[in-house]
Amino acid sequence: MCDVAVVKKIANCLGVAPGKVQLNDEQVVTRTIGQNKTVQGFATILESLARESKSEAAQNSTSTKEVKAQVYQWLEFAVLYVAPGSKDKYVSKQLLADFNKLFISKSYLVGNFITLADLAVYYAIYDLMKSLSPVDKENYLNLSRWFDHLQQRPEVHQGEPLLNFTTIYLHGWATGTHI
Amino acid sequence: MATGTLYTYPENFRAYKALIAAQYSGAKVKVADNFKFGETNKSAEFLKKFPSGKVPAFETADGKYLSESNAIAYYVANEQLRGGKCPFVQAQVQQWVSFADNEIVPASCAWVFPLLGILPQQKNSTAKQDALVVLELLNKKLLDVTYLAGERISLADIVVFSSLLHLYEYVLEPSVRSAFGNLNRWFVTILNQPQVQAVVKDFKICEKALVFDPKKYAEFQAKTGGKQQQQPKQKEEKKPKEKKEAKKDEPAEELDAADEALALEPKSKDPFDAMPKGTFNFDDFKRVYSNEAEEKSIPYFFEKFDPENYSIWFGEYKYNDELQKVFMSCNLITGMFQRLDKMRKQAFASVCLFGEDNNSTISGVWVWRGQDLAFTLSPDWQVDYEVYDWKKLDPKSEETKKLVTQYFSWAGADKNGRKFNQGKIFK
Repeated sequence: MCDVAVVKKIANCLGVAPGKVQLNDEQVVTRTIGQNKTVQGFATILESLARESKSEAAQNSTSTKEVKAQVYQWLEFAVLYVAPGSKDKYVSKQLLADFNKLFISKSYLVGNFITLADLAVYYAIYDLMKSLSPVDKENYLNLSRWFDHLQQRPEVHQGEPLLNFTTIYLHGWATGTHI
Repeated sequence: MATGTLYTYPENFRAYKALIAAQYSGAKVKVADNFKFGETNKSAEFLKKFPSGKVPAFETADGKYLSESNAIAYYVANEQLRGGKCPFVQAQVQQWVSFADNEIVPASCAWVFPLLGILPQQKNSTAKQDALVVLELLNKKLLDVTYLAGERISLADIVVFSSLLHLYEYVLEPSVRSAFGNLNRWFVTILNQPQVQAVVKDFKICEKALVFDPKKYAEFQAKTGGKQQQQPKQKEEKKPKEKKEAKKDEPAEELDAADEALALEPKSKDPFDAMPKGTFNFDDFKRVYSNEAEEKSIPYFFEKFDPENYSIWFGEYKYNDELQKVFMSCNLITGMFQRLDKMRKQAFASVCLFGEDNNSTISGVWVWRGQDLAFTLSPDWQVDYEVYDWKKLDPKSEETKKLVTQYFSWAGADKNGRKFNQGKIFK
């Protein structure tokens, strides 16, 4: 999942030319810029993109050492757990519940602003969110709020149709209708 | 880009709206130096520019004038803060600005101002319930949105945030605010934006809610020229201007008085500073008392004592029947001394325990700067004094002399004949 397509999307998001992105012989994602310069691995590539970008998310991600370290943690988590886990029926439930709990008290994953961590997890969890029924989404209101907030940004949705979270608002008006 | 000067007293939540907006837009907003609340804004020059005499007020670089905090914030903001290009989001921003003014601020003031001593406590006040209803509305709204209007921080967030500051600072202790998880999340997110941090410095979310203290209100009334005349004369001399000002616009809106109190608040350092020093030197006396025998130190005390600016008091423990072990009673006294630590420099006391286990009394002689009960000067000093009966002693009478001599030399017995057991000195 954290493959070529996601790297390209995030590059778009940050307003940076992705260069040539592909899987090498060992199925590791690599990015080639110019003639011979290659960068390997999802998190490392994203960091290299962030260095070249002047966008808000990239600037936020490198604002302090602590933020940098926390962002890196989430990038690794996105590759190792979120992407593979979201394909498994049982693991994905746990993932959704955990993220929902996390977003009770936080607006973003790291600090109080949008970072690469949000983008990476957003794209990693996108298909899973898309597969949820309205009732499912209501079980994860906090996660849904975060996801909806991100997808509204034009640089994030990149022309893809927005997922529908509107029944959440209905639920707010008429509590209990879906239970 | 908007450039100009903002007139306000420090830490004014209304001025924060404009200052935070300017941080986002890059507008050059300078806060007027030398602004004195009650003076600058009542001067003829100021009233010519801003007839209401209220702050915050804004003067643009090219000499135009704006009053009302929301208008100033709108002027110094940028397009994104005003709601972007979409008229609906712009309207939502206006909606929340009005909500803040009509719902949050009145409820917040009604709850917090009595606790700060700015307004009298109302009986059966519904202020707290009213405020909690408003907070619940916001909490519900913020369950499924990250920001109040649109997907970016806007004036809606800045204005509502500024209007909630008093509640979060003074009354929303953890047990109360835990009911508003979404609102807390949003509040912390806004509070920690670098642009907000640049304006709202060192803000601490409430750990323990303020409780109403009638003395604070009485003091504030005295300070601003209300009907109660408890304040010592010296204080009036020191702040004649404020007093005059307050008298002049006594019938004015209560929020003005509140503004004034908030403007005064950050100044308080040593509460005794407001009183004249007088000629009695506590340090000298304490040195003599510690180094010389009582035959010398007590006459020294009466020779140097300055009855104009200092007073002598007799404090008697109210619940002597409940005293048990002697060591426990002694801990009671030393504990009180510790809590009064900041008073040490301007006070002296000898507190004695008479009697034995299960049959004892506590009483003491106190001396401090000023003519009134000193404990009301600081909220830190009000833990213990209410469990004592306080009687001011006439420094010239023979009786006082006897009492002072007895307590300073740790001798004699209490009025029921219990013999002196132990004494503690506060110095």
